Amino acid sequence: MTPFSRRAVVAVAVACLVTGCGGGGGSADDGPAATATPGDRPSAAAGSPVSGPRPPARSVPVGLQIPAIGVDTPVVRLGLAPDRTVEVPPITADDPAGWYRYSPTPGRPGPSVILGHVTVGAHGDGVFRHLARLRRDDGITVRLENGTAARFAVTSVRTVAKADFPTEDVYGDTARPELRLITCGGPLEDGEYRDNVIVFAALRATAP
Amino acid sequence: MRRNVLSAAALACTAVLATAMPAFADDPSPVPDTTAAPTDSREQAAETDPSPVPSDRGAAEATPAPAEDTDGVTVVPRGAPDTGDAPVAGQSGGDGMLIGGGAAAVLAAGGAAVFVVRRRASGA
Repeated sequence: MTPFSRRAVVAVAVACLVTGCGGGGGSADDGPAATATPGDRPSAAAGSPVSGPRPPARSVPVGLQIPAIGVDTPVVRLGLAPDRTVEVPPITADDPAGWYRYSPTPGRPGPSVILGHVTVGAHGDGVFRHLARLRRDDGITVRLENGTAARFAVTSVRTVAKADFPTEDVYGDTARPELRLITCGGPLEDGEYRDNVIVFAALRATAP
Repeated sequence: MRRNVLSAAALACTAVLATAMPAFADDPSPVPDTTAAPTDSREQAAETDPSPVPSDRGAAEATPAPAEDTDGVTVVPRGAPDTGDAPVAGQSGGDGMLIGGGAAAVLAAGGAAVFVVRRRASGA
């Protein structure tokens, strides 16, 4: 009615509006946050599109089969050596493959790394003796502790000098579930292999 | 008028008292106690200083451990993996020795047989 009361009403209305905007801003923040969370793993989402296989639950690998080169072996866990290099499987007659335990479990987004020997000294050939023979689309099956299996297909095979080991390509984050199989290769120089053979593979399916 | 003045004075006194109460309440507040408390905690922190050091180291070692629960490589190893124990040269040498030894044994047996046969023939 009076100018004062009008001002009061206007002030109250403005206050309500401001308060309302504040609340709305909060939910808007939630919005981006909610989209950012999946955005953290968009790679996973983008890397495993609608047609892509669903990643299996996290479970450590216990077995590895590569029919193309006759590999069917148990898988042990590997960590880091005191010099911060990756541990390697034991040198035994029936040497197993080893999963690098600081990499994702096979089938989960990221590069899961499995290593094996090409030769095991006096015992002869290692479990990954013929790894370099693998070709694109060859199948690799990793059996997991929970009874499921992750099936991969080879995407590429590279032989690289140890001096130029492609750390980023091997251990760098990937959008989709991938697998790396690593062994030694190339000529022997002073009793040591000069190269590494690295097999890159991508998840194709999971089996119960 | 007097009533109004008196009531106004009473109201003013009440207001003064009301505003003064928090001030009174502040005074007895255990200021020294609160100052003593932080020093105690600092001393305690100083006493517990040594423990964080090992705990930090422990954390550094433990951090990579739960990699199984995460996606992505949590600790990138140094250098290239040494996944090949070169075949022992002695292994093939051993095989060669076995073959050579076998051949020598066969030759010796053959020679002995020839010797025996000739001796029998000459004796007859």
